[in-house]
Amino acid sequence: MKRRALAGLTAVGTLAALLGTAGCTDSSESSSDVFTAIQTNIDANAPINPYNQSTNSFQGYNAMKLGWPKNSLTDANAFYPGLAASWTETPDHLKLTIKLQPNAKWSDGKPVTADDVKTSAAMSFSQGGGAFAVAPGAAGGVGAVKVLDPKTIEFDQSPGSSNNSFLRNVLNMWVIPKSVYGPQMPANIWDLIATATDPKASDKAQSAAQSKIQALGKKLVEYGPKKDVSAGPFVLERVNPGEAVLVKNKYFFAADKIAPSKVVLKNYSGNEQIWNYLISGDLDAAIYTATPTNVRKKILARQGNTMISGFSPVAASLAFNQSVKPLNDVHVRRALAYLIDRKLTTRIGESVGGTPAQTTTGLISDAAKAWIGQDAVDKLNQYPHDLAKAEAELKKAGMHKSGGKWIQADGKPFTLNLQVPNGFSDWIAGGKSIASQLTDVGIATEVKTSADYATYLSEIAEGKYELGFWLTALGPATYDAYARLYGPSNGWNQFGANVRHSPAGKNGNWMGGAETATVPGLGTVNPGELTNQLAQSDPAQQKQIIAKLAKYSNDQLPAIQLWDYTNIQFVNTTRFTHFPANDSDVLRLYPGTWMQLGYIKKK
Amino acid sequence: MVAFLRRLAGHLVRGVVMIWIVTTFTFVLIRLMPGDPVQTQYEKLLSQGVSPDQARAQVQVTYGFVPHGSWLSQYGDYLWKLLHLDLGTSVSAQGVSVTTEVMGALKWTVGLVLAGTLLSFVIGVLLGVVAAMRREGHVGSVLSLLGSLLHGIPQYVMALVLVTFLTVKVKAFSTGPVDGLLDPGFNGPYLASIVSHAVLPAVAFALSSFGGYLLTMKSSVVSVLGDDFILASELRGIKPSIVFRYVARNALLPLFTVLALSLGFMIGGAVFIEHAFNYSGMGAMLIDSIGNRDYSEMSGAFLLITVAVILANIAADLLYSVVDPRVRREGAGA
Amino acid sequence: MSAIDMPVAGPAVVPARRTGFWRNLWTVLRRKPSRMAGAAIVALFVLSGVVGPWLYPDNLPRDNDLILAGPSLAHPLGTDFEGTDVLALLITGSRYVLVAAVVAALIMVVIGTGFGLYSGYRRGFSDSVLMRITDFVLTIPGFPLLLVLSTVWKFSSALQMGLVLGITGWGGLARSVRSATLSLRERGFVEAARGLGMPTRRIVTAELLPNIAPYVAMNLLIGVTTFIYSQVGLFYLGVLPFKSNNWGVMIQLAVTNGVTQTGDGLGYLMAPLVAILLLTLGVVLLVDALDEVFNPRLREE
Repeated sequence: MKRRALAGLTAVGTLAALLGTAGCTDSSESSSDVFTAIQTNIDANAPINPYNQSTNSFQGYNAMKLGWPKNSLTDANAFYPGLAASWTETPDHLKLTIKLQPNAKWSDGKPVTADDVKTSAAMSFSQGGGAFAVAPGAAGGVGAVKVLDPKTIEFDQSPGSSNNSFLRNVLNMWVIPKSVYGPQMPANIWDLIATATDPKASDKAQSAAQSKIQALGKKLVEYGPKKDVSAGPFVLERVNPGEAVLVKNKYFFAADKIAPSKVVLKNYSGNEQIWNYLISGDLDAAIYTATPTNVRKKILARQGNTMISGFSPVAASLAFNQSVKPLNDVHVRRALAYLIDRKLTTRIGESVGGTPAQTTTGLISDAAKAWIGQDAVDKLNQYPHDLAKAEAELKKAGMHKSGGKWIQADGKPFTLNLQVPNGFSDWIAGGKSIASQLTDVGIATEVKTSADYATYLSEIAEGKYELGFWLTALGPATYDAYARLYGPSNGWNQFGANVRHSPAGKNGNWMGGAETATVPGLGTVNPGELTNQLAQSDPAQQKQIIAKLAKYSNDQLPAIQLWDYTNIQFVNTTRFTHFPANDSDVLRLYPGTWMQLGYIKKK
Repeated sequence: MVAFLRRLAGHLVRGVVMIWIVTTFTFVLIRLMPGDPVQTQYEKLLSQGVSPDQARAQVQVTYGFVPHGSWLSQYGDYLWKLLHLDLGTSVSAQGVSVTTEVMGALKWTVGLVLAGTLLSFVIGVLLGVVAAMRREGHVGSVLSLLGSLLHGIPQYVMALVLVTFLTVKVKAFSTGPVDGLLDPGFNGPYLASIVSHAVLPAVAFALSSFGGYLLTMKSSVVSVLGDDFILASELRGIKPSIVFRYVARNALLPLFTVLALSLGFMIGGAVFIEHAFNYSGMGAMLIDSIGNRDYSEMSGAFLLITVAVILANIAADLLYSVVDPRVRREGAGA
Repeated sequence: MSAIDMPVAGPAVVPARRTGFWRNLWTVLRRKPSRMAGAAIVALFVLSGVVGPWLYPDNLPRDNDLILAGPSLAHPLGTDFEGTDVLALLITGSRYVLVAAVVAALIMVVIGTGFGLYSGYRRGFSDSVLMRITDFVLTIPGFPLLLVLSTVWKFSSALQMGLVLGITGWGGLARSVRSATLSLRERGFVEAARGLGMPTRRIVTAELLPNIAPYVAMNLLIGVTTFIYSQVGLFYLGVLPFKSNNWGVMIQLAVTNGVTQTGDGLGYLMAPLVAILLLTLGVVLLVDALDEVFNPRLREE
C-alpha cells in the first residue's frame, strides 16, 4: 500500500515538474522591440469602437482624438495636436475651425478626411452629453458642423451660450472612419440631429427625433469592425483575455516617431499585480497606481525602473452632510479642520501619491497658486494642527469637555461616523487615521465602510452619511473643480445657462450647505452662482471669481481638503528611453500619445 | 435502466424548477441593490483622472442599456429571453451579449477548476489513505496536521504567496491565462502556453483544498476499517492488498459525491485565485459585474453558477446510486 | 466555503454517556500530549476572546513613526499601517472573529441538524419540502450571495455577521445529517421505539439526536474554523465591515500595503495568519480526541 501511494505521488510530482519546466514565461517579457504597458479592463468581447466603455480601441494607440489635452494648471483649453494639426477659435467661442493633419491616413491606406470627423460628430451626438447633447439650448452645445474642404472642418456653437468648454469638448472627440460607421447610420442622421437640437422645433418632432437618436446611439456603440481600422500609431492585432496586442501602423502620419514595433497591453485587476510586474521589470510603463512607500522602494530597487511625477488635478476631501447636527455649525467644521492633522493623514493614507493640502481652497494647491498667487493662498486660514484653536471653536459652538469627551449643547456626546467605500485602500487608511486622531481628543469617531463604490455613491446622495470622502478640485477647468463643492451635490442644478438652488435632501443635494453665507471681506456670497459664472468667463474674470470662491470655501468649509493627488507613474528605461520628465504636461496621457509626440525611443 | 432514466428525469425536472426559483430570487435581490451603473461609471472615471465633462460624455450612452420599466415587466422580459437562451446585453461593456461574455469567462474557469480539483482530489485521497493506515504513528498525525493547516491558509494568501515567489522573485511562471503574443487556435505553442500558465493556479487551488479531501478520506477509511466485513476478511486470512482494495472502494464512495459537489461550487468560488493570477474567469467577471452594477452580467453569472451546481448535484446523486448498490433500492440518494 | 464533510458512513452507536463523557475525554486527552496541547490552544483563544478586549483601551495607541515596523521589544509582532501594535490588534480582534464564527457555526448546526433529522426521519412530503429548501440554499453561490446581501443589508456587529454566514452555510450539514438519520432509523432500537408508540418528537430527541450528537459536535468545531477562514476573504470582496483589528481585515490590509512584495510589516500579515492556523491546529487535535471518545473501537488494539 505504501508503495502504491508513493508511486502515485511520484507520478503527480513528475508531471508537475515536467509541466513546470515547459518554459512558462511569456515571450513578450524578453523581446526588446515590444513595449509592454498596463491597461484596465481588457474585454476580449468588446467592440473595437472607442465610444464603447469597454472598448478595444485604446487611447493613443489605436484610438485617436482631434487633440490631446495638456496637463495644465490653469488652461483647460491647452491641447497638443492629435488628428487636428491646428485650430482657431473666435474670441466669443462661437466658431471653431480645425485643420486636420495633411498626412493622416487610416490603417487601410485611405486618408483621414473632414468627412470622417463629421461622421464622428454624428456618432458623438448619438451618444449624447457634453457639447453633443441632444437637447436644444444645452450649454456649450454644437449647433452646426460644416465641412469646408477635405482637411478643414468648422464647428459652430449653438447660439445663446458662449461656453468656454466648447473648444475642449470638441477637440476631445474620438475620430472614427466614415467607411466603417457611415453605413451604420441612417441617411437623414443630420436632419434628425438638427430637429432634436432646434429650440424652435415642435415638442413632438423633437422627442421623436431624440428617441430615434438614442436608439441609434445604442446600436452604434455596440458596433465594431471585424478588423481594426486605426488612424493611430498602432493597429489592434488580437485581444486575449488578459492582454491586447497591437502592431505598428505603417500608415500613421508620424510613423517615423514611433519606436516600438509591437505594443502589449496587459490587463490588471488589482494594484498588487502592477507592483509585481514592476518589481520583476516586465513593464515599460504603468499607469498611475496607488503605491505604499515600501513598495515604491522595492520597485525602484529594480534596475531600470524610474518614477515620474507630476501634479494631478484631483484632491481628496472630507465632505460634510450639513443636515446632520452639529455639522451645520461652521465652528464645528472649523474645529475639525484644526483637529485633523493633514500631514499625518496623508502619510498614512496616500504617502506616495498624495501631498497634504496646504489648506482648503477648492483647488489643488498648485492650481490655487497659479490662479490667485501664493500670497493670497497664504493669507487664507491655514488650519494648522492646533488643539487650542479647535477647542476655542468647539466652545463657540456651545460644546464643553467632560470626562475627556466633548459634549454638545443639548447634552449628547459629540460622536461621528466616517464613511468610506470598500476598495479604496487609501481612503480607508486615511479615514482610520482621522478617526483615531479625533477619538484621541474626545470626539469618538468610527469608520464605517460601504460595500462598494456604487453603494457609497448611492447612499451619500441620499444623505445617509455624516462625513465621507469626496473627490474635489477636479480640473483643470475651474468650473468643474468648484462644481464638486457648489454643484448638484450641494443643491445647485443647471437650468440652461443658469442655476437654481434646491433645499437639502431634494434633487441630489446631500451636502446641505446654505445657499448664501456672509464671509468677512466678501459680503454675502452665493457660491453656486459664482461657480456657474466660471463656465462663461475668460481667464481674467475667472481669476477674480476664484479669489472669492477660495476665500468662501476656506471660511465656510463645505469640505476639508485633505490631500492633493500626485500623478506618479513608473517607467522602465531598460528597453526604451526618452520618457517624459517630471511635471511634463503629457503625463496624464497614455504612452501611445507620448510616442506620437516624440517621446520613447529604443535604447 | 428504466429506473435509472426515471430517476434522471425526476432530477432534471427538479433541477429546472430549482433554476427558476434561484433565478427569481437573484432577480429580486439584484434589483434591491443600491447604486446605479451610470453614476458609478461616472465617478470611477473621475477617480481615474478623466475630466468631468469627458466622463459625462462617456457614460451618457449607458443610460440606454440599463433596464427600465416596472419589475414585473422586466421579469417577464427576462424569462422570455431566457427561454430563448438569450442572457441579455451587458451594461458595462455596452451592447456585448452576456452569453458571449459568460462563455468567454467560463472556458478559462472550467479548465482551471477541473485541473485544480482533480489534482487536489488525487493528492488528498492518496495522502488520506496513508494518514489513515498510519494514524497512530508520526506519519499519520503529521499528514493530518498538514492537511488541516494548508486547508486553513486562505486561498487568497496562498495564491499571493505563490505569485510573489514564483512569478516575481523567481521568474519561473507568468500570470494571465495565456501568452498574448502567440496566435490563438489549436496549435502546439498556444496549447502548451495555456497548460503552462494553468499550472501555478491549479497548484494554488489544489494546495488550499486537498486538506479537505485528505481528512475526509482518512475518516472514511478509518470508519470502514472498523466495519465488520473487514474484520471478517482479515480473520479469513485474505491478503492485505486485497483487503486494502475493499477498504479503498468502500471508503471512496462518499468522496465521489463530495468531488462532484465541489466541482459545481468551484465555478464561482475560484475568485481569489483568478484575481491573483489575472485569469479572466467567472469569479472575476462576477465580482466586476457586482461592482459595476451590471444587472445583466450579474444575472447571467449567477444563472450559470446555479446551473453548474445543479448539474453537479444531479451527477453526484446519480453517481452515488450507481456506485453504491445499497442506495439504489431506497432512493435514499435523492 | 465548504465545510469539511465528515463521511456519511454511519455514526457509531456507542453509549459513551454511560462511563461519563468528560471522564472519557480527559483520559483520551491524556493519552496523547498533542491532544492536550490542542485543548489548551482552544482554551487560550476562548480566553482571549472573552478577556482580550478588557486588557486594552478602546482606542489603541499608535506610534506614528513606527508604521509597518518589524518585531521589537515594545511591539513583539510589529505594527500595522497606522502604527498600532499587532499583538494588541490580534487579541482585541479575536472577540469579533470568534463570536462571528461561533454564532455562524451554531446557526449552521441548529438549522442543519434540525432540518436533517426531521426530514430524514419523517421522509415523504416534509422530507421533499425540507430538502428542496436545502437544495436552494446549497445551490445559490455563497460568496456572490454574501456580496449582494452586503449591499442590501448592512451587517456590522459580530452577531449579524455570524447570522448571515450561518444562514448561507447550513446546507451541507443538513444533507449529511439526513443521510445519517436515514440509515439510523432502520436500526433496531428506533424500530423498537416506534413500536412502543413513542411520538416523533421523542424519538428524534431521545433516540436519534444523541447518536448523531458526536458527529454534529465535531462539525460545530470545524464549522468555527471554516467561518473564520470565510471572514478572511470577505473583506477583500467588500462584505466584512471594516474594523482594523479583525483578522481578515488585517491580512488583506497587509497585502494591499505590499507586505508580500517587500517583506516589511511581515508581522502584520503573519500574526493573524498564524493565529488562524494555530486555532485550526487546536481544533483539529481536539476533534481527533473527540473522534476517539465517540468511536472507541478505533483505538488501536
